[in-house]
Amino acid sequence: MVKAIPTWLRWLAWGFVILSALLLLAPLVVVIGVSVSESQFIVFPPQGFSLDWYRKALGSREYVEAFWLSLRLAGLVTVSATVIGGAAAIALSRRKNRQSLESFFLSPLVIPSIIFAIGMLMLWSSMFGTTSFVALWIAHTVVALPYVIRTTLAVLAESDPFLEEAARTMGASWLRRLWHVVLPQCRPGLAAGAFFAFNISFDEAVLSLFLRNPGLNTLPVQIYGQLEFSPDPTVAAVSTMMIVLTVALIVLLDRLLGLNRVANT
Amino acid sequence: MTNRREAWLFLFPGLALLVLGFILPIMRMLVLSVMGPDGVTFEHFARFFQDGYYPSILWRTVRLSLVITALTAAIGFPLAYITSRVGPQARLWLIVMVILPLMTSVVVRTFGWMVLLGRSGPLATMLREMGLVGRSFSLMHTESAIILGMVQVLLPFMVLSLLGVLTRLDPRLEEAARTMGCSFLQTIRRVVLPLSMPGVVAGSLLVFTLSASSFITPSLLGGARIEVLAGSIYKSVTQTLDWNFAAAQSVILFFGLALVLIPYLRLGARHG
Repeated sequence: MVKAIPTWLRWLAWGFVILSALLLLAPLVVVIGVSVSESQFIVFPPQGFSLDWYRKALGSREYVEAFWLSLRLAGLVTVSATVIGGAAAIALSRRKNRQSLESFFLSPLVIPSIIFAIGMLMLWSSMFGTTSFVALWIAHTVVALPYVIRTTLAVLAESDPFLEEAARTMGASWLRRLWHVVLPQCRPGLAAGAFFAFNISFDEAVLSLFLRNPGLNTLPVQIYGQLEFSPDPTVAAVSTMMIVLTVALIVLLDRLLGLNRVANT
Repeated sequence: MTNRREAWLFLFPGLALLVLGFILPIMRMLVLSVMGPDGVTFEHFARFFQDGYYPSILWRTVRLSLVITALTAAIGFPLAYITSRVGPQARLWLIVMVILPLMTSVVVRTFGWMVLLGRSGPLATMLREMGLVGRSFSLMHTESAIILGMVQVLLPFMVLSLLGVLTRLDPRLEEAARTMGCSFLQTIRRVVLPLSMPGVVAGSLLVFTLSASSFITPSLLGGARIEVLAGSIYKSVTQTLDWNFAAAQSVILFFGLALVLIPYLRLGARHG
């Protein structure tokens, strides 16, 4: 039997993993550090410990309004993208000849969002004037849609198509087949897609920046605005809360579906 | 309900959304890029190439994107390989390490880099205490800052593209190479790397596209002086309010990317 991996290489690999972890996680750790610092300025390592910046963030009208806007938007996008994308994925999985149609549905993944964002702004302005919540809702649903379609298609590819056939021969109507056979089959895919849709919409900044107006600032746009001018530790507190929300989403995703599986779709 | 009708009923909302909410906006952008006060014109494109300013922005965008893509591939390949070969528990942690930043807003991550790279940030302080740099040293507003920030933002995309291919790779192929006398590194070079080319190509494609079209991280880390194409588009839309010119720049970005991607896709098709 050959020796699997030389020892020096094993050590090197661990060193590499630690450096990668540093590169990937340092920006997040630093933000969390700044948010609990006592200092007026943005410093790392933090000086002292205080939760004042959180109090300040939660008391700020701009941040709270932006948070509710982002939450409402992400909630609605989750519903619309999951329903529309799930339906499309079910229909796609049944087609024999689906390559070109599938590529069309996944095209928002390939086209850079800045190009879509500028087009959306121009079309919306020429048709309806100033941008609105609905414009953001449509734009976010478009970018979240491919994720739902992809996760659902991946699950359906492994499921048994004859189950539905069996239900049909036994006389189940199409609605009953959908409800009792097809939807339970897609559930893990739909759930993973819904998580991604929520996360994408809640964190999205490019479309939200192009479609923003004074009354329509999502949380990432609000943070961006602060970073452009005068970042203070309040931004760090708000950012930390966003990181915490992401961690919660990942834990939920792992509990419900298993991260290993999701990462491979 | 017949199968056909059911299929169309299911496809219709998605198709309608994409045609009205995605294709139509992009068409509108294309139209605006060639629209002038009196009909069709190419003046916006002519303006882009009029003097050296905008072509230099384009060149910087291409150059930085190439460096960023190469770096993410160089870091992403070993990371994905290690992730695919460790035990299930360690793999889960490595996946979390990659997904957590991916699922955190780009704005938040860029803020982290602003702290890290700033004048009073830990990196500058460390270098200063080692006596390597002067008092006013800061990495902010340099191309290195953009590259560092973008590599961190885009590395997860590369790792996940590679991981999909590497986990499906039959480990017996590597064992066969080893029993036939290849060293570990030879096996990687001769067996694993060629077989994972589709993942490398897909990941590089994605990273290059995303890096050439992003403006949030470059404009916050690079500052106003180091402009990239996407940042210039954003400026034309929000500051100078020259939408036709913004549209023309987007068209240049769009076709520039297509020009790079099509030969790359061919390469991927040959390997895949």
